[in-house]
Amino acid sequence: MVTRAVHLAAVSLLVTVTAFAGCAKRPAMTQASAPPPATAPAPVAAKPAPPPPPVVVQETVKETVTVTPVPAPAPPAPPAPTAAAAQPAPTTRPAPKEFAVNANVKDIFFDFDKYNVRPGDAKILDANAAWLKANPGQLVLIEGHCDERGTVEYNLALGERRAKAAMNYLVAQGVQASRFTVISYGKERPFCRESNEACWSQNRRDHFLVKAQ
Amino acid sequence: MTIRRILLVGLCLMVVGLVPVLTRPPAPRAQGVDVFLNVTGGGAKKLNIAIPEFTLMGGADSAGAAKSLANIIGADLNFSGLFQVASATGPVPRNNPEALRKLWSDFAAAGAHAGLHGLLTVRGDRLEVEARLYDLTSPEQRPIAAKKFDLSSSQMRRLAHLIADDVVLQFTGQPGIADTKLAFTRATGGAKEIYVADYDGASPAPVTRNGSVNLSPVWSPDVRSVAFTSFSRGYPDLYRAFPFERRPEQVLAAFAGINTSPAFSPDGQRVALTLSKDGNPEIYVLTLGTGAFRRLTRHPAIDTEPNWAPDGRQLVFISDRGGGPRLFVMDAEGGNLRQITEGNHHTQPRWSPRGDVIAFTAREGGFNIWAVNADGTNARRLTETGDNQSATWSPDGRHLAFQTSRLGGWQIFAMFPDGSQQAPLIRGGADTSPSWSSRLP
Repeated sequence: MVTRAVHLAAVSLLVTVTAFAGCAKRPAMTQASAPPPATAPAPVAAKPAPPPPPVVVQETVKETVTVTPVPAPAPPAPPAPTAAAAQPAPTTRPAPKEFAVNANVKDIFFDFDKYNVRPGDAKILDANAAWLKANPGQLVLIEGHCDERGTVEYNLALGERRAKAAMNYLVAQGVQASRFTVISYGKERPFCRESNEACWSQNRRDHFLVKAQ
Repeated sequence: MTIRRILLVGLCLMVVGLVPVLTRPPAPRAQGVDVFLNVTGGGAKKLNIAIPEFTLMGGADSAGAAKSLANIIGADLNFSGLFQVASATGPVPRNNPEALRKLWSDFAAAGAHAGLHGLLTVRGDRLEVEARLYDLTSPEQRPIAAKKFDLSSSQMRRLAHLIADDVVLQFTGQPGIADTKLAFTRATGGAKEIYVADYDGASPAPVTRNGSVNLSPVWSPDVRSVAFTSFSRGYPDLYRAFPFERRPEQVLAAFAGINTSPAFSPDGQRVALTLSKDGNPEIYVLTLGTGAFRRLTRHPAIDTEPNWAPDGRQLVFISDRGGGPRLFVMDAEGGNLRQITEGNHHTQPRWSPRGDVIAFTAREGGFNIWAVNADGTNARRLTETGDNQSATWSPDGRHLAFQTSRLGGWQIFAMFPDGSQQAPLIRGGADTSPSWSSRLP
């Protein structure tokens, strides 16, 4: 009796061990707690059996992704100037559209990639300075511009350099610094739009506008 | 007696041998990753995946979602560069495992390594999908994973992108980037407005409508806001808009001079930017929670275009302190400053989310996208046709989008970081300055 029981236990253990050893070579099976025999490819069935559910990692089947829809961009509300930053109120900047062109204050132009005032343009600035000193009630807006060749951000900085170069020259000629406002448009407000040097050279400019104080 | 003894000895040996097998914890293996590695390790460059039309399990599919979903997922997986997608006309009949098995066998015989079977139920205005992934390299067509999705039918494209990203996750361990957005600048009349579209160019919609010049949009990492420079109030000031919420724009910086070149830190808490309020363009960091500005550079040169390393501990930027603009790197407090490129005119640096490479724009006559290792080595050109500027990385670092003039007028293209597969990404407009969002939360 005892030997028979041991015999049976040994055999069944052997069988179980063999089965496990086989399973160990297919690690995917060890993930599921008790892989049902449905994983074996079903033979061509003559009878219409219900479709066997796919054997999957349990948590994947249970997971359902329900996503709150991302609405299309809402039409922009009129911008309220609520500052995200507690920044000092900017020095009152005059509205650019209140300024106008005046024939007595002429534009100057620049070489490619440069912001230095060329000798010929210095003479134009001398004349501008003379008129501005004779008309002390006029405020000046200097716009700095670049031609289209160039990246957006660097051209904003270069445009500002061009405007400041002219301002510094005029201040050195005796025009009061507080009369100036400088604004860079980078390459965003070109005077002309052709892609050739004739147009580009017109776009590399400082544009002057004035308004009465 | 001998048999008994043999059995007993054998039993003991078995027990000893069993212990490691029985006590080893189940290996947390990603089955799909194994398949992918086996396929690509075996010499294939891509995993061939079959995506038949989805099977309609219930409801009426008047919008043709069963077909569209399969097509969009196929396009997403093709775009990823990891897969070669094969489709089949006609859906898999429902509740017919034999037909499915035959379909997979046919695909496997044609070289497919995997199959995706979608089961679609249209319930009112919702789409429910169970997406089942199969390993066709195994003779028994072993299922890899199944996942359920449930979205409103107005979100059909997003549903497809989520499924595609999950397929990529199953095979690589990282989700795909189909569920992302692009912000960019579109020229409309005399204005430039900020737009947002799906990464594949679908559904472009304006974020600004002020009729002014709006520039350089960048996403916050939580994909809730876009920072940009705008002349809408006359001067180049920095704003933040919220495309998906009814929430007014915020002013981030409106100092005298230029307020430009925003870049959110990877943790979303700071914005690096350029201000010239202190005399010339310098790099500052704004802490959003406190509103405090910290100045990082002090040099009369132009210092601009800051961009964060993915660990948030360093910034790359451009400075022309040595003559023309070139790339510099500093730590997030402004110290340890060093130049990393030599050359003529380098701008628009963008640090890859993987941390190893920085893309930038080089002017050599025309403009081209270049890449350089973050330590400054191996600078190489990626584009060569037309003018190419303004690169932006996908959040997994596997793709670059950029603007190009090669077709006449500006258009946004995509390519891989080695410069291969340059192709249009957004169509229908004069588009510049793309910014690629993180995956939608």
